[in-house]
Parts: sequence; C-alpha cells; structure tokens
Amino acid sequence: MNLSFLRISIWVYLAIFFLYLLGPLVIMSVTAFNSSAFPRMTPWECLTFQWFGELFQDQRILNGIKNSLIIGAGTVVLSVAMGLAGALMLTQIWPKLRATYYTIIIAPILIPGVVLGISTLVFWDRINRMLGLGADSVLSNGIFLTVIGQSTFIASYCMLVLVARLQRYDVALTEAALDLGATHAQAFRKILLPFMRPAIASAAVLAFLASFENYNTTTFTFGEYPTLTIELAQKVRYGITPSISALAFIIVALTVFFALLNEAKLKRQELVAAARKNATVEELAGKIKLPSFFAGNVAALLVVVFGVATITVVGTATAYNPAQCIANVKEQKQLEAEQRIQELRKQREERRKQREAEEAEQGGAQSMPKPSNNSGFGNVFAPNTLGGGDEESSSEPQPSTNGGFGGAFDPNSLKTD
Amino acid sequence: MPRFLKEFFNRNGTGMGLAILGLVIFWTIGLIILPQLSMLDFSFRPNLPPPEIGGPKDVYTLENYKYLIYGPEGGSQDYNAVDLRVFFRTLLAAVCVTIFNLILCYPIAYYLGQSKGSHIRIFAIMLIIPYWINEILRAFALRIIFGETGVLNTLFMGLGIWDTPFDFIRNDIALYAGLGYAYILLMIFPIYNVIESLDHNQIEAARDLGAPWWRIHWRVVIPYAKPGISSGCTMVFMLSAGALAAPQILGGPSSLWFTQLIYQQFNDNNDWPQGAAYAIVLLVTCILFVLAVMRLFKVNMGDIGK
Repeated sequence: MNLSFLRISIWVYLAIFFLYLLGPLVIMSVTAFNSSAFPRMTPWECLTFQWFGELFQDQRILNGIKNSLIIGAGTVVLSVAMGLAGALMLTQIWPKLRATYYTIIIAPILIPGVVLGISTLVFWDRINRMLGLGADSVLSNGIFLTVIGQSTFIASYCMLVLVARLQRYDVALTEAALDLGATHAQAFRKILLPFMRPAIASAAVLAFLASFENYNTTTFTFGEYPTLTIELAQKVRYGITPSISALAFIIVALTVFFALLNEAKLKRQELVAAARKNATVEELAGKIKLPSFFAGNVAALLVVVFGVATITVVGTATAYNPAQCIANVKEQKQLEAEQRIQELRKQREERRKQREAEEAEQGGAQSMPKPSNNSGFGNVFAPNTLGGGDEESSSEPQPSTNGGFGGAFDPNSLKTD
Repeated sequence: MPRFLKEFFNRNGTGMGLAILGLVIFWTIGLIILPQLSMLDFSFRPNLPPPEIGGPKDVYTLENYKYLIYGPEGGSQDYNAVDLRVFFRTLLAAVCVTIFNLILCYPIAYYLGQSKGSHIRIFAIMLIIPYWINEILRAFALRIIFGETGVLNTLFMGLGIWDTPFDFIRNDIALYAGLGYAYILLMIFPIYNVIESLDHNQIEAARDLGAPWWRIHWRVVIPYAKPGISSGCTMVFMLSAGALAAPQILGGPSSLWFTQLIYQQFNDNNDWPQGAAYAIVLLVTCILFVLAVMRLFKVNMGDIGK
C-alpha cells in the first residue's frame, strides 16, 4: 500500500513537472489560432490563420531570419573548427598545462552572455581604433562581431561534444595511415574526420541552435543586423501580438518534428542491429529480413501522424474562412458595448433625478452646476469604456453601479455570450 | 616547452599543427582572455568622446566603481541605494531560483536516472524540446500565462479563488517562474548523468539495512550526486544572475535586474566604461560567490563540468 502510494505520488509529480515544462508551449501555440488581437486562450473567439499571414508579411521578421541564418552559418563554421582544434589540443597538451587550459576553454560557458557581448564589443572596438579604421570597417560590422562573440562560448559546447568522441579514437589508426605513406593532412581528412563525423554533425546542429536562439551576447554586438531573436525581443517588449505565437507555433512544430524524426532513425538503427544479432547464419548469408521502418517504432508512427496533421492543417487553412465568425464576434462585442452604455446612461439619469429631488428637498436656491456637468462628462467617456468608468464606479460606491460594471470586466462574460 | 612544441608538430605535421595551434590561440587568447582584460582595462577609464581617447584625460580612475557604491558625485544620498539594491536583489533572486530548481529537478533526475524502460527516452525528448525553443519565446509563453487576462487569472477567477486579477508580473512571480523554467534542463542533466552511474544495489543495500527513504537519499544518493548537483547549481546560478531576456520581458515595471542596468548603461546612457565596470562587478562577484559556496560544501573545482 505504501509502495503504491509512492508510485502514484511519483506520477503526479511527473505530471505536474511536465505540465510546467510543456504547458506554456502548448498554450502559446494555441493562442496563434485565436482571432483575439491579444494573444490569449480564453475567451476563445474564432479559429483563424490570419496571424500566420501577418507573420509572413512582416519584413522585420523576415530580415531577422535572414540575418540569423547568415550569422548561424558563420558561427557553425568558426565554432566547430575552434572546438575541434581545442579538443585535439586537449588530448595532447602538456599534462601540467592541461588543467589551466581546460579551465580557460570551459570558462565561456559560465561567463554571463552579457559580459561576453560587452567584452567582444569593447575589445574589437579598441583593435579597430588601433588600426586606425573607421566606423564602417569589417571589425565593427554587426555580423562579424556577433559571429565572434557567439563563437567564444559556442565553441566550448562544440569542444565538449567533440572531445567525448575523440576519447574513443584509436591513435594507432592515424599512425598506421602515416606509416603507409599518407601525409598528415591526408590522415586527418581520410581517417580522423570520417570517425568524427557524427560528433561534428551534432556539434554543428548544437552550434546553429545555440546561435539562433542567443540573445544576451547578440544584443550588444548586432549593430545594424538584428537577428530574429533580437527582433522578437523588441516586439515582445513593446506590445505582444498573436503573430509571435504563430512564429512560436512553427518553431515548436519544427522542433517536435525533427526530434521525432531523429528518435525514429535511432530506433530503427537499434532494431536493425537487433535483427542482425538474432539472425541465423543462413539468414545472414542470404537475405536478412530487416524490420520495416514502422515495425515496433512508435516514434516513426508519430512522425507520420504529425506529417498528416500538418498537411490537414495547411489544407484547412487555405480553404477555411473565419470572416463570418469574426464578424459575429465583433457584432457581439458592439452589442455588449452599447448595452453597457445604455445601462450607464440609465444609472446616471436615475442619479441625476435623485440629486435633483434632494436639491428640491433642501429647497436650496443655490445652483449646483457640478452634478449635471459631471454626467455630461461621463457620457463622453462612456463609449470608450474602462478608465473613465472605473473612476465613476469608485466615486459612487453604490452596489448597483458595481454590478453593472463587474459583468463587463469579467472575461468569462464574453465566453458565455 | 620547445620540446613539447616539436613533439606536437611531429605528431600532427607542420601544416595541421599550425592550423590547430592557430585556432586554439585565436580562441583562447583572441576571444577569451584579451577581450576580458580589455574590458577590465576599459572599466577603469573615464567616459570620453572618441577624439579624446588616448589623450591627456585618458587616465586610470576608480570613478566607475565608486559610482556603483556612492552614486553620482554630490548626490543627495550617501550610497547609490538604487543600484546596490538591484545588485543584491539580483544575487538573492538568483540563489532562490537555483534552490527552487534544485528542489524541483532532483526528484526528476533521480527518477530518470534510476528507472529503466523505453518511456525514459520519451521523457528525455520532452525535456529537451523546450530547451530548443527560443529563450524569448519561452518568456513570451509565460507572459501569456501570467498576464492580467492570462490563463492563470482566468482560471482562478473562474473557480472563484480570487475575484480581481492578481498581478503576477508586478509581484515578480512571473519572473522567477520564467528564470526557473529557462534553466531546468541545465539542472537536470548533470544530476541525471551522475545518478545514472549509481549502482542500484547500493540503494537496495541501504533499504535492506532498514534505512527510510529520506535517509537513503541523504546518506547515499546525495553524497554520490554531489558533483552533478554542484555543476547544475553553478550553471543555473551563473546563468540566472546573468539573464537579460527573462527580466526584460517578465520583470515588473519597478523591479530591475542587474544586467538591465548594464544594458541601460550601454544602450541608453552610452556610458561604456560604466557598463563595463558593472559587468566586471557582476562577473567577479558571481565567481567569488560560487567558489565560496563550493568551499562551504567541500566540492572540488575539478568535479564541475564532468
């Protein structure tokens, strides 16, 4: 009983954890399809694809993607090269220097990105000045600075990935090649590089992704070439729209797709290896019956489901027209606003009458222009809602006033309509 | 040293050796060491317009560091209370985020490291996917959730737990959740790597000898996982103290992160030496803090990054 309780609590914990981890991404993706001009999931208005259209017409985003790709390519080349050189150096450096050297090349991972960005900017600015070059030289170019700044720490990631594989490399292979008359360059190209290829590929992917999503370093170095991340940050800071959700949805979908594809490939390799192991000699001599791509491969099935879903969504997007629904919601909102105005008017009218009655009771001959003035003012403010209305309701603590407003403020009221 | 160099060239050939050496020197000296030194040097100089740089006014000064402590000269206050408060708040918050992440991630890392089965790989993918999504977009996702009309407020108001929207952003809850969210993976992976190599028999043995589950963790698993825990904590602390995107997007209007001050010095005030000085202060304090905590918990520097 105790054990089952423990098991249940583990699963509950896992569920909460993954909800925290994946929930925000799901919610963000869903908001991309809501027609509400502010990215939100509730109240749900209409299913729409307009934010995707808006996204693809946004010149700044497109330009940012272009810059990101250029910078990403540069960073991949530079940091994989430096990472490989750093890893090779680590395996053969003088043992006494080794700890120091390792600390130096691992440090950029821990140095805050802001500091790396600033130091790159300051250092190359100084070099630029020492060489007597102007402000438009290569050394103060945004792309150059960003590539350099990002490579400083991305090369450390690459080095870690590469050194893990390099440790399993048998140096005797290179020596054999050299004995057989290969030059050092040939031995490197024909023996070491093919061995390192999988690690180089994953280092390159890692470097590209790290470069693509980097913000802290790039924000100091980008100059006149804002990357996608910079553009996104500026958009998010100064007002958020669902077209950002649309972009996020695309990125999430691509990530999930490639993760699944990779997993499917790995799983298949495993299955093939297992089939080879279990095959009898005859089967090996003849034709091995390899398992098909989908047999026992959940990830592969998911990839296919995913592909079909994408095609369906894109198909629906081209055919589907939410104009009617959006018009309905708009009309609904207008009706609601009118209703609210009417209610306000009625309340004011009543209040005015009450006051007049009070004044009449007091029998005061003094004219009080303020109340009438106030209501006129209020009417001007009423159509454009909240700010003015709020003041009004706070100055009049009558429960009826509050009730009239409370409904309007409650986001749920929109959903129920 | 020359013998070492000769051996190195013998082993790699002159051309390849030069290429490797060149790249490594460019990386370590040109990209890592010199820029940091240059920033250090820069932080001791006054903020001058470009023509005056290198002129008679370009002397070393402690002005930029003094500014952080005492504020502008002739200011009304004895200390630069605003900036100092931001600085200590940043450090404190980074510590809190680190502890929060450790508590959140340790059970997950333990579970993933010690249980077998194909579902572990699915969990691993689910862990990695959020990490490949842009940092800005992750912060944006949390802003949708924590916003005034966001999912959480709608949910809780719908359930009737509170009836006016709770301002998560002004109360910094969104910021802490965002920082924790951003670095979960960096905490899980080092701990997971270590715990995975822990022989399950050790835990069984402890259990057979009658230890309750919390003592098994306290006496067996945690001491074993200490290197992983310390690398995870170091990374999360350094990265959240140096975070810029999450505070900019999720931070309340009145609360600043120290990196935002640095950013302002560079971009709004155009005072680079001042910004460099602040960056140096942040870097040095963080490193010293990490070293002190590591000494306190008796962790070796060599264990980190394993």
